[in-house]
Amino acid sequence: MTDAPPRDAPPPSPPPPTHSIAEFRRGYESEQRLRGYRSACGFVTATWGLICPSCGQRDLTDGVLSSRGRVAAYSVQTVPTAEFVNDAPYAYVIVELDGGGRITGWMPSIQSPEQLAIGDRVRWSPTYRTGVVFERETPASGDPTASP
Amino acid sequence: MRETWVVGAASSRYGKMPDTGRETATRVALEALDRAGIDPKAVGHTFVANAFGFTERQAHIGPLINSALGIPDVPSLTVESACSSSSAALHEAFVHVAGGFLDVALVIGFEKLSQIDTLEATSDFALAADYPYETLNGATFPGLYATIASAHQKRYGTTSAELGAVAIKNHANAARNPHAQFQKEISLEKYLASPIIASPLRLYDCCPFSDGAAALVVAAKDALPSPSTEPLVIRASVRSGSLGDVHDRADLTSLPATKTAAAAAFRASGLTAAGIDFLEVHDCFTIAELIALEDLGFFPAGSAGRATVEGLTARDGKLPVNPSGGLKAKGHPVGATGAGQIVEVFEQFNGLAGTRQVPKAETALTHNVGATGSSCSVHIFSRR
Repeated sequence: MTDAPPRDAPPPSPPPPTHSIAEFRRGYESEQRLRGYRSACGFVTATWGLICPSCGQRDLTDGVLSSRGRVAAYSVQTVPTAEFVNDAPYAYVIVELDGGGRITGWMPSIQSPEQLAIGDRVRWSPTYRTGVVFERETPASGDPTASP
Repeated sequence: MRETWVVGAASSRYGKMPDTGRETATRVALEALDRAGIDPKAVGHTFVANAFGFTERQAHIGPLINSALGIPDVPSLTVESACSSSSAALHEAFVHVAGGFLDVALVIGFEKLSQIDTLEATSDFALAADYPYETLNGATFPGLYATIASAHQKRYGTTSAELGAVAIKNHANAARNPHAQFQKEISLEKYLASPIIASPLRLYDCCPFSDGAAALVVAAKDALPSPSTEPLVIRASVRSGSLGDVHDRADLTSLPATKTAAAAAFRASGLTAAGIDFLEVHDCFTIAELIALEDLGFFPAGSAGRATVEGLTARDGKLPVNPSGGLKAKGHPVGATGAGQIVEVFEQFNGLAGTRQVPKAETALTHNVGATGSSCSVHIFSRR
């Protein structure tokens, strides 16, 4: 007699990724890192998931995203939500990160659309404020980043 | 699949309604049934769309509406798909009727938001974005579409005048629509003088917060061979989705769900873009109308703005787009919006559109987006 597995046993799958929404928030709020994952297909994101939405693979590698990149799109908003009621106007930005993937954030220092352009270099600026805050990259700024 | 029709449709005026959403929705539903000449007791199921019922302290509204319609024993399902809720409800009705599970279904969409202020409405709308990954990083709904606009401008050179042309056209159409919230035309000067809400979008690029209700009666051809109205034959009812977060999508200048829904809808209908007489598309912001026209395949990417300036999408143009005034000027009562687009098709097909009647109304396409394109509905209609 062999100990064959039941015929309806599911195929073995890699262990689930350990990242979570809470870890993402804890990462930028208190651990000085932007957490995300890289999929086997190269898709990189901070957005929580169990299976890569790009290729459908479960092989996701947790890691730390680059904290630098270029502005891919932005908008200077004058009418905020309750979370940002005392902060408008400010720029909401989509940032193309140096190590791949995009992340969103906001730039309190940008208060009119002429102050920013798509392609400008920015870096994450850890802060006590709500959310992921970016600032313009300056030549003097250090680099606390790793790649996933 | 059975041939399935929209045989009755009705709408409240959008804007500010004095009654609760429940009362207005029920009145509009009965008006749609009366227009179709169908007794409420013939309805097998109601599909009720409402996105922000919590602002009226009311959930599970369907049974209350059914009770008020005198059909308390009829089942009801509440459908939520953000701004595409009532086109999603129509899709549910279509699936049930075309599949033979129901003969007659009633679709009801409504929203009541005038009891809350701009700050609360802006905050509530942003809940339909990705809260930890977009909203908590500062996004508002105008801001999300504005990032798309900024990327579209960078890639294609889309101008303020092109965005403004959408607003001017849709206000001109809404000025002829008794259901519309804004029944007034605007000029380019007025558009350009309006304040920035989320650059590059100005006040007149943005749809308003609206109250409103719309209802549709859906029936199988077999069950109702001699309708009292000119029915809309549902040639395609397609839903699609795409990545929830705008920034995770490969292309920031289009909504992939629109492309996939359009391709499937054209395939199912047997029609092509050239065979569509007029459109109602999801213009929550002016940029949304331009990318809708491009993603649906009516204009090449980056060219819809120029086409709008040239008048091709005007009410009397080659391809009338949003003859109702669209979300932009007719208004955007979230849960009612998708059904309201089809009320416009019904009125155009039945010669009820008055001075906004389009030159030809034999076929039509409606396009309704949930959030920033994570949900999308495309419906194609023709006459019998």
